[in-house]
Amino acid sequence: MSTVTLKINGNEIIAEDGLTILEVAKRSDISIPTLCFIKGKISKNPCKICVVEVEGQDELMRSCVTLARDGMVVQTDSEAVVAHRQERLAILSETHFGDCKAPCNLTCPGQINVQGYIAHVARGEYEEALRLVMERNPVPFSVGRVCPRFCETRCRRILIDEPVSINHLKRFVADWCMSHEIDLKIPKDKPTGKRIAVIGGGPAGLTAAWFLTRKGHDVTIFEAAPKLGGALRYGFPDYKIPKEIVDYEVNTILRMGINIRLSQKWGKDFTLQDLKDMGFDATFIGIGATIDVPFDVPCTDKENVYTAANFLRMINEGRKLDLGSKAAVIGGNNIAMEVARALVREGVEQVTIIYPRARLEMPANQRNVKEAEKEGIQFLLMASPSGLCAVPDENNRLKLDLIRMKLGEPDKKGKRDILPIPGSTNSLSVDTVVSSLGQMAVDGVMAGGELEAQLKMKPGGMFFANPRSSETSVEGVFAGGDAANGTKSVIQAVVSARRAANNINAYVMSCEKDPADNRFNFTRGRSFDDVSLKNFDEIGIKLREKMPERPPEVSTQDYDEVKLGFTEKMAKREADRCLKCGCTAFDRCDLKRLDIDLKININKTGMGKVPVYPVDTSHRAITVDPNKCIFCGRCERSCEYDALEVRAESMDDKGRPVGLTIDFKENCVSCGKCVENCSTGALNKNNRIVPIQGENVREIRTTCPYCGTGCQMILKVKGHTLMEITADPDVGPNYGDLCVKGRFGHNFIQHPDRLKTPLIRRQKGMPLEPVKWDEALDFMAQSFSRILGEKGPDALAGLSSARCTSEENYAFQKFFRSGIGTNNIDHCARY
Amino acid sequence: MTGLVTVLGSGAMTNTINGIVDSDVMLVIGSNTTETHPIIGLRMLAAAKKGSKLIVADPRRIKLCDSADQWMQQRPGTDGALINALCHVIIRDELEDKEYIAERAENFDAFKESIADCTPEWAAKITNVPATVIEEVAHIFAKADRAGIYYTMGITQHTSGTDNVCSLANLAVITGNLGKAGAGLNPLRGQNNVQGASDMGCNPTFFPGYQRCDDETARKKFAEIWDAPITDKPGLLATEMGDAIMEGKLAGLWIMGENPILSDPNSAHAKKAFEQLDCLVVQDIFLTETAEIADVVLPAASFAEKNGTFANTERKVQRVRRAVPPPGDARDDLSIINMVSNRMLGNRHGGYQGTTDPIYHTVPPLASDVFSEITKCWVAMEGMSYDRLEEGALAWPCPDTDHPGTPILHESGFPRGKAWLSAITWDGPAENPDDEYPLVLTTGRVLYQYHTGTMTRRSEVLENSAPSAYVEMNPADAEELKLADNEMVRASSRRGSIELAVRITERVDKGIVFIPFHYKEASANLLTNDALDPHCKIPEAKVCAIKVEKM
Repeated sequence: MSTVTLKINGNEIIAEDGLTILEVAKRSDISIPTLCFIKGKISKNPCKICVVEVEGQDELMRSCVTLARDGMVVQTDSEAVVAHRQERLAILSETHFGDCKAPCNLTCPGQINVQGYIAHVARGEYEEALRLVMERNPVPFSVGRVCPRFCETRCRRILIDEPVSINHLKRFVADWCMSHEIDLKIPKDKPTGKRIAVIGGGPAGLTAAWFLTRKGHDVTIFEAAPKLGGALRYGFPDYKIPKEIVDYEVNTILRMGINIRLSQKWGKDFTLQDLKDMGFDATFIGIGATIDVPFDVPCTDKENVYTAANFLRMINEGRKLDLGSKAAVIGGNNIAMEVARALVREGVEQVTIIYPRARLEMPANQRNVKEAEKEGIQFLLMASPSGLCAVPDENNRLKLDLIRMKLGEPDKKGKRDILPIPGSTNSLSVDTVVSSLGQMAVDGVMAGGELEAQLKMKPGGMFFANPRSSETSVEGVFAGGDAANGTKSVIQAVVSARRAANNINAYVMSCEKDPADNRFNFTRGRSFDDVSLKNFDEIGIKLREKMPERPPEVSTQDYDEVKLGFTEKMAKREADRCLKCGCTAFDRCDLKRLDIDLKININKTGMGKVPVYPVDTSHRAITVDPNKCIFCGRCERSCEYDALEVRAESMDDKGRPVGLTIDFKENCVSCGKCVENCSTGALNKNNRIVPIQGENVREIRTTCPYCGTGCQMILKVKGHTLMEITADPDVGPNYGDLCVKGRFGHNFIQHPDRLKTPLIRRQKGMPLEPVKWDEALDFMAQSFSRILGEKGPDALAGLSSARCTSEENYAFQKFFRSGIGTNNIDHCARY
Repeated sequence: MTGLVTVLGSGAMTNTINGIVDSDVMLVIGSNTTETHPIIGLRMLAAAKKGSKLIVADPRRIKLCDSADQWMQQRPGTDGALINALCHVIIRDELEDKEYIAERAENFDAFKESIADCTPEWAAKITNVPATVIEEVAHIFAKADRAGIYYTMGITQHTSGTDNVCSLANLAVITGNLGKAGAGLNPLRGQNNVQGASDMGCNPTFFPGYQRCDDETARKKFAEIWDAPITDKPGLLATEMGDAIMEGKLAGLWIMGENPILSDPNSAHAKKAFEQLDCLVVQDIFLTETAEIADVVLPAASFAEKNGTFANTERKVQRVRRAVPPPGDARDDLSIINMVSNRMLGNRHGGYQGTTDPIYHTVPPLASDVFSEITKCWVAMEGMSYDRLEEGALAWPCPDTDHPGTPILHESGFPRGKAWLSAITWDGPAENPDDEYPLVLTTGRVLYQYHTGTMTRRSEVLENSAPSAYVEMNPADAEELKLADNEMVRASSRRGSIELAVRITERVDKGIVFIPFHYKEASANLLTNDALDPHCKIPEAKVCAIKVEKM
């Protein structure tokens, strides 16, 4: 073998003669990017990304077709090379049309792979759907009931009919797993030996504990109340989140292996210094915002005047209060709505919410406002309480003085202040007043000790925490959730605590943080106005499933849940409404990867804006979206059967295809190799509808279970679900090839028909019935032992399987030969 | 296997998949390779493209015929006659490898005598393949430097299955095609681990590693390894078990991972027998037709849910690795065997007891422990270990830890010393068409389905691609019966009757029909014949007489 010696990026390399620069570089672990390279088959329409600079050559050379020669001096990433690649990538990206991530996914504060879990629901993989949600949100039971649903506001389905009921689907999978007693078996990392204290067992504390425990840390939650759950338990009444749901949710989290210390109030029962002394390496503050902002009008120190969080806590603890028949709720936030609805359930006949602005300006989610209104709650708008000093009339206990408000002139930002209308005083006779004017974490300075005193507070009674590091003003002490951000939604507390957990992990392990999701994203349109309606030409109207709920006249009589949840059929139908905006090639797209690597700003250089071609779903196994095709031709050239044709009517001035067709010929055997070679998501496997994003995906090498060829394949597994099967081009006997059964014949693994429990037939003629292993084994052992005793070993026989492993076959025949004492052992495919 | 053992002393594919491209001639007989072994088919097509001559012998015009240099369309069940005629021509025209025969074979004269009458003209009458074609193929095959033979069930699932294999072995030996790359005698295994199951002694006459149960030394060896007395009484073959049940000799049967009610010929008979058992235990991943009549059903794991090894058709031992846990309370098959063993035998046998892990619930000994025990039982695997398999597959024999494995068998000799050229006389199939059942039925697979379909029919892409049963029929036969394409018909044999669509096609010759056997709603094996090969007791699934009626 003759060799050549050349220099690549300054390194001297001795290579086999006759190889291209690209191959030589690959063998020396120098990566040269390319979008069109297929070994042994030269591209007719080269991507020109693989160019390199060769000394003495005026022009950049394509490394895939330039042979490495003796004495060559090659630069693979010089300025000129990078500039050329960037130019090429920008040109290719300019016509690439699609969404990397779906808008729902991008809008979710938790960045949850929404499209992914909807797709799991559509496939009936509810366990995996929940696991996917819990990758980023460990309290799906609650969030599935109370989320403000930012995602649904951006659902593209709005352009056709109504958004997908995303949150109801989340609740469905959580409830389904609960009612089926599913153990999610979520793994955690090896123990790190680090101990972390979490103060507060509400959504933020539970979230931080969950993610820190998964990282292998030893976590202890300190909770002031006798039970965990925080706002989920003491903030939301049962009709929103039933207590048994909170219990189940909390237990699901605790099953990870988390220590808890209940009825331990920070500042009273322990201090930050105590935690340090106990050996905790870091502390997370997630105590929420539970202290009500006082009702600051004259004469509020009367009986029957409550503040919201306090009131809800008492209701949720089951305290019986004498509330009379008329009540006023001061404030227009979400908590005010829950207070009002709880008052109705307590038998108060007339509940009035008083708010100084218009209804649409209420901070409460409009969905919550509507739900309150449905239950007969009245709204007194543009009015503000001025005091409780007036003497009540004889039928009521309190008289609330009010003043009418009007809007002032708009300020510079256009915001209009509210002003009292002079002389517009009025009064409302009530028996109970509850004020809901906001909450804070700490009123004044946190009590406890020296470290507590050093905690910097923000105006409004929240802990200061560095937005990047989540760290407070005390080293090793972190904060998140409402305690740091003020009263927000549960999902926002989760996000904040998850971020804090990531920061705490980096702090105690002295390592880098897990990187945030890259914001690079192709989109078919950021706002609804940008999205071409041509996208939806083929899609018919299909309205969302209606959430079954109890009518208000019934539901207000008790604290049972109002919304009853989707049935399985409804969930599947609803999941089928998903438009699947995001790209299922997210995890393998080379164009996106190179755009990111080479820092292409597609927002500036441009991307496709309208669909030029219809998506072709006529192939039995493969969906073709020519709008994503960059005409690299890898599919065509990778096909072993010559069964694929990619053609363009003409080329535009930048060398891009016009009038593109991607056609499968008659002789296509659906082996799917072209999909694996597609450089974008132009080709996709039909049965691979769950996009894989930042989730942990394991790749397991194994042997195909079908014919005797023994093809080596790679199982891509997320959670406990096999996502797809691929093959390694460097491993025989198949060298990257698989047949249709190898690539597509694995749905049976997760098929609902799988046997999941032993069955026995107690007597001939009776049906098979499910039993536990113990009983099945006893039944079998007794039957076999009886036969053995009565008729001898040769009255028993075993038929083993060419489908099972050699180890199983060996153990099986060993059992019969050495255990039973017979050679009656055979397998059906012996021949 | 029995056939290969007779001639060579060992039964397995002699060569490699990778070596196919190096062959000068490929004789593919009774194997619809592109559909049953698509990747091997792909290599054959690549070899043909590179200039290797492809000879196909198949009653149907299978896809390989499109790329073949020669296609011999023999009548089903006449393979033996065809192969004997090939040998006859080779010897008649003195094309045999005399040096090789002298050095490595015995019984040549008796063999030559036995095929003296097997002239191409004689074979042409039986097989329908023109004598000139037989002569031409014989010449191409014999003159090639490297000629490989590839076959599957089309050769073996006959009452003459063993003889057919012996004939092929004779052909390979007299042309000197054993022991070199790009040649050989290559039975393509139809299932992922047929080779491994055979290697592991799941067979009434052999212990693991083809060590005979009637051999005193072997029995002693295994009695020692297993620490238990081993009986010298021969066991029952799978195909003999039905009768043993009916005679009351067999009362308990444990079936692991098979669905004989659908896969066995004359399956109604198998079902009747199983229903007579005192206790039928079926261990499977689905409630198969066989599991439905069981007394105990044990939920097992799929390939993706367990650790272990499969031995592929080239004798390569390859790892199977666990990717996901089994669903619900299902357990991997090894753990199930261990649990049953624990329950019935206590801790006496190999310490089959231990704790379970919370996610996979495995019960030791684990696959890796069992594998090391296997390597102690059989010298051909003695050099293997899971550590070595991490680096890549190893083909047996691999007798020591430095041994690279043996991709090509018989390079320097045969296990039995010299190859035994066996004298074969050709007998036709057990059942021939007559006035009542005028058509010859042959069965097989399609690309998109697999075996009894328990897996493929639950994978949407596959099921949608080939969702229903059909019978392929020549246009001439269809016209006689006045059938239109896709019309539903009734197909019946002496054993049963099914309803399915007719597919009118030139792929089959007049008088011959083909039905894939994957579909339980129209199970071809209700029609097929369970007459057995007298040597290895394989049933004649590939040929029987049927009639097709308009409905």
